[in-house]
Amino acid sequence: MKSNITLIFEKGIDEELQNYIPEIDIEVADLKEIIPQALLRNDIPIPNVPEIEIVRHFVKLSHKNYGVDTGIYPLGSCTMKYNPKIGESVERLPGFSQIHPLQEENQGSIELLYNISKFLGEITGMDWFTLQPAAGAHGELAGLLIMKKYFEHKGIKKEKIVVPDSAHGTNPASAKMAGFSIIELKSNEQGEVPLDHLEYAMQGGDVAGIMLTNPNTLGIFDRHIKEITQIVHNNGGLCYYDGANLNPMLGICRPRDMGFDIVHLNLHKTFATPHGGGGPGSGPIGVINDLSPFLPEPCIISTENGLVCKESTDKSIGRIKSFWGNFGVIVRAYAYILALGAEGLLRVGKIAVLNANYLRILLQQKYKLPYNRICQHEFVISDKNMPNNITTEDIAKRILDYGIYAPTIYFPLIIQGALMIEPTETESKESLDYFVEIMNKIYEEAKENPELLKSAPHNLPVKRLDAVLAARKPVLHD
Amino acid sequence: MSYEFPSDLKYTTSHEWVNLHDSIATVGITDYAQHQLGDIVFVELPTIGMVLEKESNAGEIESVKAVGELLMPLSGEIVEINEQLAESPELVNSSPFGDGWMIKIKISHAIEIDELISVERYKELVKSEEE
Amino acid sequence: MDFVPHDRKTIAEMLRVIGVADIEELFQDIPKDLIKEKLDLPTGLSEPDLFRHMEEISRKNKIYSSSFLGAGCYYHYIPSLVDFVISRSEFYTSYTPYQAEASQGYLQAIYEYQTMISRLTQMDIANASMYDGSTALAEAAIMTTLITNKKSIFMLEGIHPEYIEVVKTYCWGQNISIEITTEDKLLNQLNEDVAALLFQSPNFFGDIEDISKLVKYVREKAPNCLLVQVMTDPTCLGVIKPPGLTDIDIFVAEGQSFGISPSFGGPGLGIFTAKKKYLRKMPGRLVGKTKEINGTREGFILTLQAREQHIRREKASSNICTNQALCSLAALVYLLAMGRTGLKGIATQNFQKAHYLKSKIEKIPGYKILNTKPTYNEFLVNCSSIDSLIYQCKQRNLLPPLKISKYYPQMKNTALVCITEMNSKDSIETFIQAAQAALNNKAEG
Repeated sequence: MKSNITLIFEKGIDEELQNYIPEIDIEVADLKEIIPQALLRNDIPIPNVPEIEIVRHFVKLSHKNYGVDTGIYPLGSCTMKYNPKIGESVERLPGFSQIHPLQEENQGSIELLYNISKFLGEITGMDWFTLQPAAGAHGELAGLLIMKKYFEHKGIKKEKIVVPDSAHGTNPASAKMAGFSIIELKSNEQGEVPLDHLEYAMQGGDVAGIMLTNPNTLGIFDRHIKEITQIVHNNGGLCYYDGANLNPMLGICRPRDMGFDIVHLNLHKTFATPHGGGGPGSGPIGVINDLSPFLPEPCIISTENGLVCKESTDKSIGRIKSFWGNFGVIVRAYAYILALGAEGLLRVGKIAVLNANYLRILLQQKYKLPYNRICQHEFVISDKNMPNNITTEDIAKRILDYGIYAPTIYFPLIIQGALMIEPTETESKESLDYFVEIMNKIYEEAKENPELLKSAPHNLPVKRLDAVLAARKPVLHD
Repeated sequence: MSYEFPSDLKYTTSHEWVNLHDSIATVGITDYAQHQLGDIVFVELPTIGMVLEKESNAGEIESVKAVGELLMPLSGEIVEINEQLAESPELVNSSPFGDGWMIKIKISHAIEIDELISVERYKELVKSEEE
Repeated sequence: MDFVPHDRKTIAEMLRVIGVADIEELFQDIPKDLIKEKLDLPTGLSEPDLFRHMEEISRKNKIYSSSFLGAGCYYHYIPSLVDFVISRSEFYTSYTPYQAEASQGYLQAIYEYQTMISRLTQMDIANASMYDGSTALAEAAIMTTLITNKKSIFMLEGIHPEYIEVVKTYCWGQNISIEITTEDKLLNQLNEDVAALLFQSPNFFGDIEDISKLVKYVREKAPNCLLVQVMTDPTCLGVIKPPGLTDIDIFVAEGQSFGISPSFGGPGLGIFTAKKKYLRKMPGRLVGKTKEINGTREGFILTLQAREQHIRREKASSNICTNQALCSLAALVYLLAMGRTGLKGIATQNFQKAHYLKSKIEKIPGYKILNTKPTYNEFLVNCSSIDSLIYQCKQRNLLPPLKISKYYPQMKNTALVCITEMNSKDSIETFIQAAQAALNNKAEG
């Protein structure tokens, strides 16, 4: 039986296509003279595919995919906002895209990196930045290593990191990569960090610090944030801010003022850089003055000689990536900040929160919201008490049938059957109303025709796929 | 939800069951545990000959959406592992107390048997976890 | 510029529905003394003004007519096809394909990428990408310690110095000890407590290592020690024997040479491959082929997610979440466009041009090629004055080779010269002129 899938490998032809190789213009030696026979490979099992076939293949694939440009993409904690097209134009300027990281005449790039550091400093309140980390999790690792080095330098042994049970999975994973073990704090009934449990955990004396995102993954701003950071500081620890949820706070509230010592930002979330398929991103980290000697190198500073790299010291945690960072992503984020300016950035937070609460108020009429209070940029629905044992997965798959992307499912773990919704500020009222309309329709379907949800999706290139088979018998390439 | 709770077995608070026969303990995870994990896709077991302490990690049970740890209910030497689970991890779902058994231990500290919990206590534990 | 699609009337209507008087009420959970509502940043720019500003900054970077600089970032020709595909917004404005049924396009592309890399390298499995070559190598090092339960790794000299730094940082985080060694010293040092030997080939200095000798040695002396190879310009795989055929356990590479612009060093592409038996300890996302639950059609899905941080949390072997997906799509298109003929052609040209350039340089008195092993598209040149050479290159609008003393202060007057298919005969001749001029005009250097 012919498969419904055509892999590009089936489109190869026997012709020796050489469209993209320049003509050789020098006298050439035979390869056998240059390199021993034993080092040569015999063949490359890769097809020669005509250009038109490649184009049609990917155009067809793109029709089976969905981006922010297609419609609302309400993935909680991912901040899937509109990616301004000017970002694409400026990133492709030859003066950015053709520049080698090791060339000396790089003042444009250095200036851009320095400028954006200053902007991010103003937004977060942090004193020093490195733009090296390639993603939020990478920034987390760097931040935790800074904590580790800081305490090592002081001669104090700190082996643990406190993380709330609502934390994104990268937090404990990063802590482990930095050599720490975790103390997990159970969120209280308000969805916030319980101060007494925190106090107790810190009293052990071996806690390096806490990792938090605020607003948290329930979309709730922890009202006791200043007490939390104070408790940690009073017990000799440091406070790390996971910037994944910074969007609603832009210009309104700064992590520094909340009491944080280290902050990472997700440029691919808050600053609208595209990350199709899951990347690339950029996760710069900002620190307070006292921690600046420990930043990974290189770090750009302003001196009387202009912008230069900070001198290397043995206090630094060392490099965490080759070269300078994901420069192509940083260029877009820089353009975004300049495009919006102060007033535009302030608007982002306000409208993000407006949009989220608008959805919340309308959806809570039918769906169960475990924390039904004013949220910030996102909120969480639970599948508890859904009619006919309909699960979050069923709801998500049915949402796909209506031509939009489903929100984040089964995260945070502390809510049963979580459906985490973040509309962002770039969704129109029409778009939000449509989302509510289909969610209401789906609820009715859950009551009247649950089979429709249980067997969804129906309107996509494939029906629900077998994840169990994929994991039991992995087929990872052809 | 109703789960199976065979009354001729002993249990642990970490959802393992134990079948004792002389000094050999056959161990697996309970019906409740397999239900929590969902369809099992992979089971990692220790090698024969390994000597492990009570409550230490003896393996991992992976589903599509979660990973569970198999903890030693008693200290001892691993004398047998269920090779069938490599090809058919779904046995843990279909027969958690039968063909889905995981390891056999030669017990080193018989006194630890007293610390295992009865089927009644285990039923209570499951009931309280469900609330 | 403003991307918020609401007008004032709409906002007022939405506030009414929510039941608050103004937006400020929605921030009532924030303690009053934390509310700043002010940003000391410039006013927003319109698109033409922004574009002009960005252009001005970009002009402060110099664009050369030809490059002789590599050292981890390479100028290769990028077919127009690549930009065409990655600019389709259904691809680039999407995110991680969590909802498989609605993301079949991207999932199939990643599956094809995994297939392509697997075929090119002849390694059993390839993941969907890591951040870059340096972090891929660092995560490979950690992976070997999890597989073997040993906390020590060896690195062969000749790995890119920045990669060595990154591996050191990552290993320090987990108390893994590192020994940097040479092929000669390895004879005495390798023992059963070592998790892996990491090496680069072609290495930082351009040498293609004698891999079969290394492998044979390691397998005999320390059978449980894993072999990890890294490559900074994998276009050479168009000609040289792939790692899957030389018994390498984990192969990683910087994939920037596959259709990604230099972009001042990032984003790049961390290619990560391994033998099948290490599958469950592999970091990063994996796409698998599967079937419908209630049907016969095939589809693609993120699989084996139980390895990853969102499920395993602190028990995960890696924290990676966001990766370099769009870059792996670019690499896939590049490799498809080139095909086997193109890949072989490009690699061959790189070898031939380097060979040609070497022979020209050798004829200039005062210049000496230092490599004794075969090389790909980079080699070391010792000269009487590296500063003069660099100066003369810049005078002729050539991006000069790397002054090696940047990383190895003891190696004075040595350049790491790189040449690719992008260097025309003219540019080579100009470089030779520069080299000759550097001899004659030492005072200018």
